[in-house]
Amino acid sequence: MGISVLDKFGLGAPVPVFAAVGAMSLGRAEHLTLDPGVRLVGSPRHAAILLVTGDIGDKALANLRRLHDQLPHPRATVWWSADPASDWDDPIIVTSSERIATVLSSVWRALLSGKRQSEADCLPDAPPNPWRGVGPNGQGGKGMMGGTPYGRPMAMTGEDIRDGLSLDIYSAPFGPFLPSLPHGLVLDMTLQGDVIQRAEVERPPYKQDTLAATPLVALARILRLLELPALAERFVRAAIGEAAGRSADVAALRRAFLRSGALWAIPPGLGRTPDDVDLRDRLELWWAAAAGEPVAAASFAGAAIGDLLRGLEWQEAMLVLNSFDLDALRQACVEAMEQAKSEEAV
Amino acid sequence: MTFALTLAALLAFLVIGTFLAAVMDVLAPAWIARRPTVGALTYPLRSAAAVLSRQRIMTEAPDRLNWLLAPAWYIALATVGLSVVPFDEGFVLVKLSTGIVLWGAVESLTVVVVFLHGWSPNAPLPLIGAYRYVAIGLPIMLLSMFVLIAAAIPAGSLDVMAIVESQQELWNVLRQPLGLPLFLLLGLSLTLRGPFDYADSADLAGGTSVEDSGAARAGWQLARLFMLVSFSAMAATAFLGGYLGPFLPGPVWLALKTLVVLAILVTLTHLFARMPTPRMLGFLWKVLLPVAFLGLLQAGLEALP
Repeated sequence: MGISVLDKFGLGAPVPVFAAVGAMSLGRAEHLTLDPGVRLVGSPRHAAILLVTGDIGDKALANLRRLHDQLPHPRATVWWSADPASDWDDPIIVTSSERIATVLSSVWRALLSGKRQSEADCLPDAPPNPWRGVGPNGQGGKGMMGGTPYGRPMAMTGEDIRDGLSLDIYSAPFGPFLPSLPHGLVLDMTLQGDVIQRAEVERPPYKQDTLAATPLVALARILRLLELPALAERFVRAAIGEAAGRSADVAALRRAFLRSGALWAIPPGLGRTPDDVDLRDRLELWWAAAAGEPVAAASFAGAAIGDLLRGLEWQEAMLVLNSFDLDALRQACVEAMEQAKSEEAV
Repeated sequence: MTFALTLAALLAFLVIGTFLAAVMDVLAPAWIARRPTVGALTYPLRSAAAVLSRQRIMTEAPDRLNWLLAPAWYIALATVGLSVVPFDEGFVLVKLSTGIVLWGAVESLTVVVVFLHGWSPNAPLPLIGAYRYVAIGLPIMLLSMFVLIAAAIPAGSLDVMAIVESQQELWNVLRQPLGLPLFLLLGLSLTLRGPFDYADSADLAGGTSVEDSGAARAGWQLARLFMLVSFSAMAATAFLGGYLGPFLPGPVWLALKTLVVLAILVTLTHLFARMPTPRMLGFLWKVLLPVAFLGLLQAGLEALP
């Protein structure tokens, strides 16, 4: 099969990759954000290659299959320091971090030239819940309302917790591969528009490596949520340089951070924990740690995740979730799950 | 014949402007990230080809017609908006005594188009982006109306050409110093960029564009750039004297001023953080709108005989 002019041009573009990041591998994925030949995208629809890195666990495998089927053709999956699912057809496996960019671009080339066949769907093309023809009106519900048409519960009006407006509520699980959530975290949320009415932890985030826990990388995650990806890139480069023994100009980064209005953009008092520490304070703790001061990491101080997120707007909620050290968040998630389980038992 | 020529000039203006905007969009983040760029001139073409080589996916039970039409409407609105911008004295595609009102309609309909784009895939994240955009849309449209009316007051006319001619002695950017900065914020919002990107933002994994792939994605991104060019030309016309200027021909002046506005908007995109919606709503209603009203008051008092 020949290669069209369009595809030839497309080959010169960075490879669009969606990263499904598993345990102990976020640092690796952050390295990849600096590679000019690769573009990490936020949605599987925008990607040509699904990159699975690190151990994602058995539970997330079902999510991964659904994610895989959302990539447009031609598509491929690359397993980077990850064990492919045993039934995966012709998996591409990479173990060395030096070679990953080369492998990604050669797979991209093979896909565009037709040398490598696009991967078929993992799951049958059917809604996750049967609904068609169920119920008196065939929408999957009782009477005129309810049901799970198209596999999603129908949005029904519900009480609002803020201003009393009864708007449609929508419940769905979010995660484990939604880029704005910490990797691995699955939250079952009820939304009214962009306001979170209820959030329950279904699965905790993965344990991550040391680079992911450095304050500069943590701040970079916040910057991305504030729509500052270019500045975030500078932070990640500095963090990687620091890990390699080069000292980072933290003062210059701090100036750029303040000039961007990042601190001012965050509402004061957002995500306040019982020990009176809010999101801005937590960012300042990271800055202190980045400057080499010995500071204790911010903790949840007994706050439940569901309570912290209740009533927040989507972006605020994402900022709050990403403002804790990953270990603290993981711990709080495990506790929230245990409490939910014990309440269920009662 | 003149109509055909003007239309050709307008389309060339849009296409070349869009290309330059796309190049700037490569250079600005690279400058901020302190990363060298290679091949910035061809980068937009390569990336467009990469997107176009992808399959276009439909979601389950989408609003197909509106999904298809949203980028087309967006491009149409950008073109209609530009049609009232004069390239030179008497050189304008649509000579309308209420040109600035037509531009106002383009702004408001953009909110509808962005909402349709988020509505049509039948998926949660795009719909959240769409809701959010509409919430921000109302106060930002009011803001734009205040500054545009203020710009029209010295001209005593809603005709865009008259607004340009009223700046013979002093450009509106100096006469009404609040006007252009406030209007630029509207530009960021109309084109879903950086600090005003409430529709297609990273926290929603791409917002209204989450489900776009292939040609649909390319079309939407292109439409955003078209609107950016159209808006920049209008900002240059209403506040920087449009085609006015010594020595060079009028269209060249307009193009140069449009490029300056483009560069400012692209840089602002990557330079400033985006506030969460509730905070931005408070900021718009409580701070920026009163400031815009002061600007309008100043323009009105100055115009008193």
